[in-house]
Formats: sequence, C-alpha cells, structure tokens
Amino acid sequence: MEKQEKIKILYVDDEINNLTGFKASFRMNYNIMIAVNATDAMQHLSSHPDIRVIFCDQRMPGKTGVQFFEEIRSRYPKPIRILLTGYTDIDSVIDSINLGNVFRYVKKPWADDDILGAINEANKFYVSNSLLAVKNEELQRAYNELDKFSYSVTHDMRGPLLSVLGAIDAAQHMDDITEIRKMLLMMQDSVKNLDDFIQSIHDYYNLNRGELEIKEIDFNELVEEQIKIFNFTYLVSDVRFNTNIIQKEIFRGDVLSIKLILNNLLSNAFKYQRKDNPNKTVDLNILVENGHAVIDVIDNGVGIAESYLGDIFNMFFRASTQEVGSGFGLYNVKAAVTKLNGKITVDSEINKGTHFKVLVQNK
Amino acid sequence: MSAQFPNFIIIDDSRLDCFIAEKIIQNSGTYSNVKSYMEAAQAYEEIKNGIIGDSSTMTIIILDIQMPVLNGFQFVEVFEQLPKETQSKFAIFLFSSSINENDKNRLGNFPSIIRFYSKPISKDTVAQMIEQI
Repeated sequence: MEKQEKIKILYVDDEINNLTGFKASFRMNYNIMIAVNATDAMQHLSSHPDIRVIFCDQRMPGKTGVQFFEEIRSRYPKPIRILLTGYTDIDSVIDSINLGNVFRYVKKPWADDDILGAINEANKFYVSNSLLAVKNEELQRAYNELDKFSYSVTHDMRGPLLSVLGAIDAAQHMDDITEIRKMLLMMQDSVKNLDDFIQSIHDYYNLNRGELEIKEIDFNELVEEQIKIFNFTYLVSDVRFNTNIIQKEIFRGDVLSIKLILNNLLSNAFKYQRKDNPNKTVDLNILVENGHAVIDVIDNGVGIAESYLGDIFNMFFRASTQEVGSGFGLYNVKAAVTKLNGKITVDSEINKGTHFKVLVQNK
Repeated sequence: MSAQFPNFIIIDDSRLDCFIAEKIIQNSGTYSNVKSYMEAAQAYEEIKNGIIGDSSTMTIIILDIQMPVLNGFQFVEVFEQLPKETQSKFAIFLFSSSINENDKNRLGNFPSIIRFYSKPISKDTVAQMIEQI
C-alpha cells in the first residue's frame, strides 16, 4: 500500500458529520475527497479524472443522490457510483440500479465493513472496465490495420505475381534471347520485391506482437553485420559509406528492433541516391553515452519534399517512384522506435539529402 | 496503313509491367508507336506541352492505378483539366492488379476513363481496346 498510489474516492453528503466520520474511518487506506453538495462534487471530478468510486447520500437538499448520479453519468462515465440510503427510499434505488445509474447501494447508517466491501467490489469492476476499454481500443486499431492490410496485400503481393505471369506470357512470343534475359532480370526484381514485402510483414508482426528481448549490444559488431548485408544486396561500390561509432558504455536493448531500425534507414539511404551525383555518401554515426544511444543516418541523396515529411512514417506511404518500395519500411522503423520508448526525427531537403536521428534509451 | 493504328503510352511505376505491355503491343502489330513512362507526372507534362499526342491517330493510355506521387486517379483528374482538343487525342484505360469498392465507385466520376482492366495485359486486351476507340 505504501508504494502504490491510494485509490481516490469521492463522498458527497450534505451532513458534515457524516463526511468527517467517513474520512476519518477510511483515509488510511484510501484517498478520500468529500463534498457537501453537487457543485463541490463536480469540482473534484473535473480536477481528479481518476476518481474510482463515488459514494453519494440519497437525501440532499435540492437534488437527490439518484438525480446527481444520473446527471454526472454521461460526463464522467468511469467512476463507479454507489448510493447511501435508508430503507424508506428503496423504490427509487431499485429503479436507479435497474437504469444503470447506480452500481450498488449501502444502507444508512453504514458499517465500516459494508463500505470496505463496496469499495472492493467497485474497484474490481472499475479495473476490469478499464482493461476492457484498453482492449477495445487495441481491437479497433487492429481492425483498421487489417483493412489497410487486406487491400495492400492484394495489391503488393498480387502485383509482382501478375507481373511475372505477364512476363511469362510475353516470353512465349519472344525469340531474341538478349531481350528474354533482360526480362528475366526484371522478373527477378519483381520476385525480390515480393520477398521483401513478406519480410516486412514478418517484421511488422514481430514488432507488434513480439516481446522485447533485452540483451547487451555491441554496436561495432552490429554495424559490421549490416555492412556485410549491404555488400551483398546493394551495389554500394559507388556510394562512400562512413561509419563513426563511439560506444562509451555497455548498452542493453532489444537487438531485433535496433537491427530493423539500422537496416531500414541504411537501405533507404543507399537506395535514394541521386544517380548523377559523383560523390554519393552515406554517414552512420552512433554515440552511446549517458544512458542512451543516438543513431544518425545521413545521406546526400534525393531528399524528401517538405510536404511529404509528415506522411513518411504512415503505413504504405511512398513518396518516390525512383525505387520500388513497399511503404512499410519507415512505418516499421517508427514502430520499433516507439517500442523502445525512443524518438525519431527527420531533416530533409530535396536534392540535398536526408538526416534521420534516432534516440533510444539504454535499458 | 500503319498510320491507321493507334499510338500507345504506358504509365506504370513497375518497370517490368511497362516492358511486358510494350512487348505485347509490339507483338500485336496493331500499333504506330509505343512509349512507357514510370512517372505519371512526366507523361502529363508531355501531354500538356504537346510532345505526345498525334492529330492523325488516337493515342491509347494504359494507366496503372497505384503509383506513388501521382497515382492513376490523380493523373486523370489533372488530365481532365486540359483543353478538350488535347483530351480528344487520347483514350484512357485503367489497369490494376486489384481494385477495391472505393476505386470501382470512383471510375464513374471520370468521363475520360473508357474501361478498367485487371492486370496482366494480354493480346486480347489490346485488341479490345482498339475496338473501343
């Protein structure tokens, strides 16, 4: 109970004696707020949106407890409402419970155990309601993504397949072997794109459903590995790749997420170069100190128009026709950075280049 | 005789799809000229400035829907702002590997789109397009 914050409870009653008595009995275990009328109660509610349970006396001048609950219900739906009342008011209480305005009632004069029991039940109900709300939100988000997904899957997966199918059809009427070879190369690209896309979906799934696996990370080793990958998959011969890695302390983090960030940012930096630029460069700077890692990926390539900068982290957004992209890469980068409680920023200018800066905490 | 056949331009961000369409059209033999654009904006500029578009024969535009920067629908939107005389030299056919309900409903908003076809393009599609212009 020491460390955990006390549950906030509001008690509304026009009799001061009841209020002070209530507060004296329960303030050890709960954070008790009291109000002598509806106006005071509203003030508490607006400044403490995390009040979990409201007790209200039924008989108050001007407004009954049932009326008060009815009024606040739509504006403050979250707190659990409990009515305090004597037996004489039982009919209105039954109506009120049936209408859903009151969770339960405690008869007056109350015994401490009744109140404690009521708080306990109300708190359980509050917690499961909140969990449900969170789950609902997650579900809604999942639905929305599924919509985008099914559309993109039909296009991004069928697209390359139909291209290859078309190519096979065309090849049956082609006699020139050099032409056919040229087309085979394009078919290969098409199949590679499909494979990249499937890999991105796999990354996406891991990021959204997978657990973090915190391990010690040696950035020098990680970058070595990336360089090997890029030497295989990209013709980086004409791009100067400079790395500057300063790791002043042991870094702990989720290695898969960090790899994904590096891999996507670097592959973009290599891909979106200006073809006519004789001095193509990609710089990778990593500085690990004071409990975080700062990763800078800087290229002097095509850049991103200012009007697109706001959209580049959106799923399936593509700002360029220069290279074939899935519109998934930066979305996944952003998801990975968010998963690591990090931050990503971008600076870019058309035909000057792009600078991505990522900051992630040492765990 | 060949002046009677239409010209073709292909607007598609997939290099392979452009190549296939060119081959299929060339194999059909029923064309005057064929040219590909991987960026819709470039094709638009050339149409606007009269670099492409023949007055003696129709130009068929084979247009992909999903493209970055300027997609198929956005291309048609700006195309329909061009002078009627320029527009009349072109016939637009929309192509895609998939089409959703939304896109299907949008087709009706663009009088200059003659028809939608599913990819991949075939020699039958080429023959059908020529019949419709």
